[in-house]
Parts: sequence; structure tokens; C-alpha cells
Amino acid sequence: METRTKEEAGVLIVELDGRLNSPASSQLEKKIKVWVSSGSQTVLFDCGSLSYISSAGLRVLLSGAKLIQKQKGQMALCRLSANVQEVFEVSGFIDILNVYDDLDKAITALS
Amino acid sequence: MLRFPEEIILLLLDDASGKMAKINDWSLRYALAGSVLMDLALEDRIDSDLESLLLVDKTPIGYKSLDFALAMIAKEENHDVRYWLEKLAVHADDIKEQALSGLVEKGILEHREELLLWVFKSRVYPVIDGSAEQEVKLRIMEVLFSDIIPDPRDVVIISLADACGIFSAILSERELEHSRGRIDQVRRLDLIGQAVSRAIWDIDASLVYAMQPQGL
Repeated sequence: METRTKEEAGVLIVELDGRLNSPASSQLEKKIKVWVSSGSQTVLFDCGSLSYISSAGLRVLLSGAKLIQKQKGQMALCRLSANVQEVFEVSGFIDILNVYDDLDKAITALS
Repeated sequence: MLRFPEEIILLLLDDASGKMAKINDWSLRYALAGSVLMDLALEDRIDSDLESLLLVDKTPIGYKSLDFALAMIAKEENHDVRYWLEKLAVHADDIKEQALSGLVEKGILEHREELLLWVFKSRVYPVIDGSAEQEVKLRIMEVLFSDIIPDPRDVVIISLADACGIFSAILSERELEHSRGRIDQVRRLDLIGQAVSRAIWDIDASLVYAMQPQGL
């Protein structure tokens, strides 16, 4: 899975492109720690190109959200595909994390 | 750090008498099977999605029941979480024995044999170092009585504890009523935990059905 980052209105936008499975989750976990320790307190995962998420992927998003919450920051996700949305709904992640349909709405809510 | 089978067994033991709480055999079997799978998942040996359980890395961990399960999973592919719960539930007695031995080795429990009716020997495991158990309980309480985002390890232990009915023993009726929604919210967050709950529910439901009076 690839990640691309950019900043807009004080929000670190991370585009997730590909499959968030076990190996990708390990890599993403390390990146999240680096971003947070570098001072990024508001992180938005743009999931428009995320085609798949496994349990490992869910865990890394949960750990990331917990880490950011501890730093008094905010984390959100946007543009979930239909199958990622299904996983979020079945697991209840849709209720515990901030999820938006739209990138602009997400940025507005976070900034 | 304790393995999940050890944490669950520790929560189920009465501190003073060292006896296990009485819970349904199938609840304990599925919870122990689930605890092994969840440990393997957090060790990045397996992964899962809504349809299947996937092998990620077959390198042994060095803990017998986990490595046993991992070797089984490495031999067969393309099964879902429920399949592996059923397969591992058969070995729940071994998983429990290893968890008890592990806790004794770590100096948390003491292995004692007591005489019942002055004739039959019974093994009991009184707690000799309560700090590990307290730590597990504190983690659980912190998650249940706040809206903090739980750590994945806390999600697992809450899911397994609920499957074993532990909360009715460690929470008052009022606390349980107050936290029921939060327990349900947190335990859903782990897909393996969901499969454990469903497996137990299916057995409970089939028993209720079997006990219904049948038409002649």
C-alpha cells in the first residue's frame, strides 16, 4: 500500500492507496508514530483509493486514533469505498472513529 | 506481558480459593480458542477479514498453544475464523493447562492440591501476586467507564471477558447495566471477538431450541 501526504488548513492529509493488510499495517503504524512525534496533531486519512482493509488495518487505525487522542489531537477518515465502509459498519468502527463522505467536509470539520 | 489465555484464566480464578468460576463449558472453550487466535493476530502471525482467516507469518512464537495453532493454520488455508474457533475449541483443555502453568511459572499463581471429601484431589490455583490481575481489571474499567479510544489489547480482553460472562462477577448490577452499551461497542471492534460471541450465541440458541417441547 502506498501513502501520500499533504497539508491543508493545518490538517495532515494521508492518502491511502491499495490494501491495508497486515504487512501494510506494520508500515503505517511506524509512519503514524513519526507523524505524531513530528507534531502532526490533526490527521485525516483519505481512503478514496483504499480497496481493502483487514483486522490488522482496523487495529492500526485504532492505535493511531488512540495515540492522537492522547496528544489531544484529532483523527478522521473520509471517502470510504463500499467494501471498506461495510467492514467499518460490521465492526462498529463507524461509531468510534470520525468518518466523512467528503474530503472538503472532513477538512472543514477538523480545522 | 501475559498471553490472552493467561489473562482470561486469571480473571476467571477466585483469588483466595484458586478455583475457577463456573461458566458454560462451550463459552470457555470458544473464549480460549479465540484468545489463541487473537494472540496470533496481535503477533502478526495471522490476519482476518469478514470472510477468512489468513496466514501472515508461520514463524513460531515460542508459546506452545499459540505455535500449535499456528502450525495447524499453516497446513490448511482458505478457512474462516469460525472454522478455526471450532478446531481450536477441541483443544481448550490443553490451552487452559498451559495458561495455568504459565501463570505459575511467572509467580502469579501457586499450584496446590486439595483434598475433597478427604479422598479426591483437586487442583487449585490461588493468586500469590495479584498485581497482574489488578492491572488487567484496571485496564478494563478504564475503557468501560470512559469514552477513551481503547487499545487493541483492551478490545481483545473485553471481548473475551464478555464471552465468558466475567462482567457479572466483577461489576455490580448497576455498573453492568450502566456499561452494557460500552461493552457491546468495544467488543465489536475485533472481528475474531465477534466470531467468538456468535459461536457461543449459536450454541446457546440451539440448546434453547432443543429444550422446547416438540410437537407429537
